[in-house]
Order: sequence, then C-alpha cells, then structure tokens
Amino acid sequence: MGNLLQILVDALSLGGLYALTALGIGLIFSVMRLANFAHAEFITCAAYALFALSGSPLVMSLSAAVVVAVTLAILTERVAFRPLRDADQATMLISSFAVSVFLQKVLIFAVGSRAKPVDPIPALAQTFMIGGVQIGVLKIVTILTCAVLLLALLFILKRTRYGLQMRAAAEDFTMSRLVGVRADAVIALAFLLSGILAAVVAVLYTAQTGFVQPRLGVQIVIMAFVATVIGGLGNLWGVVAGGLLVGMGSSLLQAFLPPDLRPFREAILFLGVILILLFRPNGLFPSRGLKERI
Amino acid sequence: MSTPMLSVRAVDARYGNIVALRDLSMHVATNEIVSIIGPNGAGKTTLLSAIAGLVRPTHGAITFDGQGLIGASLEDTVRRGIALVPEGRHVFAGLSVIENLRLGATIRKDTRAAEADIQRYLDQFPILRERRDGPAGLLSGGEQQMLVIVRALLSRPRLLMLDEPSLGLAPKITAQVYDIIREIRDDGVTVLLVEQNAGRALSVADRTYVLSGGEVRMTGPSAELGKDPGFEAAYFGLGRGVAD
Amino acid sequence: MGDKQAIRAGLRRLVPLAILLGMILLLVPLGHLGDIVLERRVILALLNLVAVVGLYIFMGNSGVLTFSAVGFMAIGAYTSALTTLRPMMKQTFLPDLPHWLAVLELSALSGTLLAGGVAAAVAAVVGWPLMRLSGIAAAIATLSLLIIAYIGLGNWTAVTGGQTSLMGLSTWVKLWPAALWACAAVTVAFVYQETRWALCLRATREDEVAARASGLRPVPLRLIAFVLSAFVSGVAGALYGHFLGTLRVESFYLDSTFLFLTMLVVGGKRSLTGAVVGTLAISLLTEVLRLLEVGVAVGKVNLSAPNGIGDVILAAVMLIILIFRPQGITGGREIGQVTGSSRKEIP
Repeated sequence: MGNLLQILVDALSLGGLYALTALGIGLIFSVMRLANFAHAEFITCAAYALFALSGSPLVMSLSAAVVVAVTLAILTERVAFRPLRDADQATMLISSFAVSVFLQKVLIFAVGSRAKPVDPIPALAQTFMIGGVQIGVLKIVTILTCAVLLLALLFILKRTRYGLQMRAAAEDFTMSRLVGVRADAVIALAFLLSGILAAVVAVLYTAQTGFVQPRLGVQIVIMAFVATVIGGLGNLWGVVAGGLLVGMGSSLLQAFLPPDLRPFREAILFLGVILILLFRPNGLFPSRGLKERI
Repeated sequence: MSTPMLSVRAVDARYGNIVALRDLSMHVATNEIVSIIGPNGAGKTTLLSAIAGLVRPTHGAITFDGQGLIGASLEDTVRRGIALVPEGRHVFAGLSVIENLRLGATIRKDTRAAEADIQRYLDQFPILRERRDGPAGLLSGGEQQMLVIVRALLSRPRLLMLDEPSLGLAPKITAQVYDIIREIRDDGVTVLLVEQNAGRALSVADRTYVLSGGEVRMTGPSAELGKDPGFEAAYFGLGRGVAD
Repeated sequence: MGDKQAIRAGLRRLVPLAILLGMILLLVPLGHLGDIVLERRVILALLNLVAVVGLYIFMGNSGVLTFSAVGFMAIGAYTSALTTLRPMMKQTFLPDLPHWLAVLELSALSGTLLAGGVAAAVAAVVGWPLMRLSGIAAAIATLSLLIIAYIGLGNWTAVTGGQTSLMGLSTWVKLWPAALWACAAVTVAFVYQETRWALCLRATREDEVAARASGLRPVPLRLIAFVLSAFVSGVAGALYGHFLGTLRVESFYLDSTFLFLTMLVVGGKRSLTGAVVGTLAISLLTEVLRLLEVGVAVGKVNLSAPNGIGDVILAAVMLIILIFRPQGITGGREIGQVTGSSRKEIP
C-alpha cells in the first residue's frame, strides 16, 4: 500500500511536468498553429542558467532561469517564427524542428555536450514520512507547483482581457484580428507564458535529476509533444490531460512492468500513442477550430 | 460634391493568377446604405476584403476619410472606424455570448462606456441576454447573425460592412436583420452591404452597385435600378462594364 | 502523333533521369582524385543520396512529413548485418541469436535486398493504419515509429547487441558499388514518380479535398509510396552498415533525421532533382565545415574554426532556406524538364 502511494506521487509529479510542458507547447499552437519544437531549448537554456548561477541565492537563480527562457522565447518568435507565419503546416513543423536543432547546436558549441551537475533547490532534497512511507518533498512541491501554475494560467485565460483575446485568437485568428485583437501582442503573450512555463519545468526537472545536458529539453518535449497531440491540439485542457496521461502512463509502466521489459517502457508508451492517434487523429479532446473548412 | 467617406478607385485584386477585381471604382457617402449585389464569384467579398485589409490590391487606391487604406493591417483598419462582419457569421463558437461581445469592444479604451453599450444591446436583444453565459456556437443562425452585428457595432465603427447577412437565414429572421440595419443607419453609422438576395438589398439600400466578373456593371439609386430593363443583363455579366 | 514523335517524346521524359545519373557517375572519378579520405567522403555522399531519395519518395510525392525514414534505415541495416555476418562472428558477438539466424549467411546483394524487403514489409504493416493521418498527427505518429524502432532495436540485446556496437560487417561498399546503388535508387524513384499512382498521390498533396472529390483515395496511394520509401531507406541502412563495418543504434536517430531532412528541404522537397542537389550541396557544405574545424596550416600556424561551429552553421543554413526560399534550391522543378510539364509550386 505504501508503495502505491509512492508510485502515485511519482506519477503525478511526472504527469505535472509533462502537463506544464504540453501547455507551453499548446498555448503557442492554439494561436499560431505552430508546433514549437524549440520549446525544448527554452527549457534547456533555463536549466543552464540555473547551472551558471549555482550557489547564488534561490531567488536569483530562479529569476535568471525565467529571464533566459522568456527572452529566448520572444526572440525566437520575432526572428525565426514571425517570417513563417503564413507558411503551410509542414513547412512550419520542419522550421520549428530546425530552430530547435539550431539552438541545440549553439548551446553545444557554447558549453560543450558533457552533462554538468546542478542542484538548484538543495533545501527540498529531504523526504518525509506518511504512514510509514517515505515521500520526497521535491515531488510534492512539484505536484503543488504544477497545480498552482495550471490554476494561474486558467485564471489568466478566463478572467483577464488578454486571456480572452488569446482564446479568441485560438478559435479564429483572422476574425479576432477583425475585431481589433493585435496578432503580434497575442502571439508575444503566448511565447511569454511559454517561456515562464519552460523555466519552471527546468527548475523542477533539474532539481529531480541533478544535472544538465544539452539534450535535457528534447527528452521532455518529445513526450510533451506526444501528449499534446493525443490530448488534442488546440484545446488547452486536452493538452493538459494528455500531459498527465503520458506522465502517469510512463510512471506506471516503470513501476509495474516486469524488469526485463522495463527498457522497452517508452516503446510501449509510443505504441499506445500510435493506437490513440489511429482512432482519434485529432486527439482525445479535439478543438473545434481545427476542423478544416471546405 | 464633398469627399465621400469611402472611396475605391480603379482597384485590381487577384488571387494568384485569378483576377477577382478589375479596375473597380465605387464610393460610399456618409450615412448612406450602399449595397453590392451580383452572382457568385463576382468579387463582392473580395471588395470588402480589400477594404478591410484581408486582400491587398495590385493597383488602385482605397481611401477612408481622405486617408489611404491599402497596406493598413486588419487591426488598424478597425481602429480607423471600419468594422467588417464577414460571410458566414464567424462567432467565436467556444466562447460565451458575453465574451463575444466584450471582444467586440477590444479597441475601446472607454471601458465603462463600452460595458454600458453592451448592457444596452443585451436589453435591445433579449435573446442575447438570455444566453449570455452560454457558448455562442449554440445560438441559432439568426441569433448568431445578431450577435456578430452587435459585436461589430461595439467597436463604434463609422462604416459597417456586412457580407451576406441573410445567408442561410429564414425570411422572417432576415426581415429582422434588415430592420436592425435600418436602425443602425438611423444611429449615424454608414453601411456597406453585400448581398446575393438582390431584392432585400434593393429594398434597404439607398444606392446599389451591380458587380459581375470583378467589374461594376451598373450602379444607381436602388429604386431605379430594379426597374431598369438592363438590370438582369448586368447582373449576369452580359454587356459592358460601367465606370463609377 | 507519329511513331518517331512518340519515341522522341518518351526519350525527352527521360532527360531528367539521364542528367541525374550523369551527375552521380561524375562523382566516381572525383572520388579517385584525392586520397582515401576524399574517397570515403564521396562514398558517404552517395550513401546519403540513397537515404534522401528514400525519404523523398514518400515526403516529396505525398507532401506528408515523416520522421520514420531513419527508423527503416536501422531496420534494414540490422537485417543485412544479421544475415550476412559470418556465423563465427555471430557466435562471438551475439550468442543469443536464434539458431536459424545464427547459421544464415547470405551474399552481400541478397542481404541488401532483404534489408529493403524487411523494411518494406514492416512499413506495409505499420503504415496501413497510419496513412489516414496527415499534418502534425502524421509527424507525431512517424516520430513515434522512429522512437519505437530506436528503443526496440537498442534494447533487443539478443538480436542486435543492444547499446553496444555491432562489428564485423563486411565492408564491400566501395566507390563503384555506392555509385551504382545511388543510380539504382534514383532510377527507382524516377520510374515511380512517373507512374499513375504517384501522379494521383501528388494530386492529393496539392488539394486533398478536391482529389477526394474526384474519386482518389489517398490512403492506398500513400501506402505505396510509404512502402517503396521504406524499401529504399532499408537498402540505404544496409549500405551504411557495409561501408562503416559497424552499426550503432545511435546513428539512426534524431541527428541523422535532421541531416537528411535538411538535405531534402534545401534541395527542394518536391522534386527528385531537389533530393539529389540538396544531398550533394549539403554533403559538400559539411565537408567544407569539417575541414574548417580540422584547420588549415598557414606557415607554422594552424588556423581552425572552433569545434561545433559546423553543426551550428548547418542548422543555420536550413533555417535560412526555410525562411527565404522554403521551396528549396530547385523550387520543385526537375532538371532538364520540358517546359509546360514542370511541377512548380502553386503560388
């Protein structure tokens, strides 16, 4: 029974991280129909910022992570994605892949490809006991942070003026411009929020794993991408659900698979992804706005 | 004659290799209701799109209040006082009715007055007040049409452009929509209206343009146009084009 | 039309193929010009060509983005390795192989063709349900295929050696075999794209709704391209294996995917010439960048570019092309094509 609680905590913690990442990707997709592979580099660079400021007070390193991620996000939009706004979906996909690889290679060029140890929040490394079971404080904090951020984003989207404009742009981009919503502002906001989410994920993930390497973001984002698609692109709740599903699925597979099958855990997960896509190509909770108009 | 509010002069517009508008000229004076009628593919929607900024003409000039419009972005055109209600209604289906209305007031800086306007419209159209928190996608066709017109009005436009407001609506609802169009003009807003339903258009508009094959074939006061023997020919594109 | 005219028209259609084959065969004497390093670089470029042509067969004709080509390369590579390695080698490195596989030893040609065949068979099975997807769903689904192949092959230690390199493949891929296989791949792609199936597939690429309304069914058309593409990719994988002599699962993952995608996109993803031109251009570029990183001796000083800059520049080139000329160098046209039958992008 205690083991079950640990497994649940692990699953929710990983699910939360994937949900936040998927949300960062989903926000941009919903307004721009762009699948932003470069989100991986937002996360990785934020993590490297944490590494660069190791030893500094927590507030400083956290701020650095956020500043780096947000600046990179807004810059990437301005330089690489704005010229591509009218391209077809295939070109946009390839382009975002290219941006991601470019940023990765720049990072490798700048800091080398070896993993480096990092411990951004040493204070949270403890564990505590619930009913005789050891639970990591960090995992609980991760779950709580994810929940809080999701609620904060919900508030922004539902209750603020800019959130309303973003939702309108996600529904019908051109019509929203015709009522006066500024496309550039909405897109910049989406990237800003994405950057913040990326920074938070970077902090929590490196706190759990203990090191940074140039592929850090890619691993998370591949899973989050998959989560976004099976959850339902364009629908932010679907995206979050997808993230939770993938994170929990991965965790549960890790916990319950027999040991010799465990390395195939991800393969099994992706098999599940393909199955879901076959029955629901638009995801489990598709957004209405995605259906093509003839 | 004083400068018309909206002036379109010798405009060409194309989609790729397809010519949609050919040396087209027309104008709208303040507080008029002007309608544009013609068969499918005549270029009526393209004309409104060119004015709104969705399509960029390859030749010609479009001015509003004497200032050039070509090249202005969609967002700027709204802020200059032109609101477009495109064909097919385009409510934000997943958002609520009240959210749709609030979006109509996006460009307004006077939030209190905007909110007051919203309340006024909710009073004027009880069905909107009744459904205010429900998704706009669940409204009927006629209700959606009212919603998008009100949404456009909330930006306090000086020129309201409507693309086929009666499309897909029952005659009774269409009549209601057209009553609203008359009231809009009485409130001081100028209306430019594209319609396939020539009868309705002629009945409400002061002046009418007949468009066919991307050219103006005929124009004049609506009352006379309907009686003109050359009307049908112009409508179906037989005969020469007419300059404004 | 008279017989002579018909023959002439037919020959004219073959002009692009002839030019491309000529370009490929020109590389052979080029490879002999320098030392062994240059020769190996030219062989590598020719093998890249097979891989990119494989990618093109599906992506170019269907317009659907796919990430799985490299996965089929891996399948082909390991198939050829396992069926051509000498049984003694297999006993040493892969003691857990099932007996029938351990004693099997095919000739190089059979191994390579089998590689293509197995990859094609897998593609036929997994492709059938996936061909309904397009756009981002297809991208994610094919990415999933790649990852499954990567993880599957990487952990199936009994059969592939898992994470360790599989060594001892016979290295028969020299300059002439590489060039001939490249010519074969290009010919296969050319012949395919002139068939009715490919033509109908390209119709669905342009406007799926209109094509459907005309009675075309995208799924079977796409599947044909997908299977053929997998065959060529499988062959490419086998060729790589028998060029390098060793196999690592790592080499068949995201970095190669990006490299081949870059070659195809830079050349122009809608034409076979694009695949060829792009591969040669990018192969040349990577070679130049590699030399820059190694350095040039100027007197007593070694001038070299910092390590890693080559990758950065390559990615930057891809981005620049995508922003300023997304249709690639060739813009979708085939070299030597008669005007009027060019497949330019519709504005």
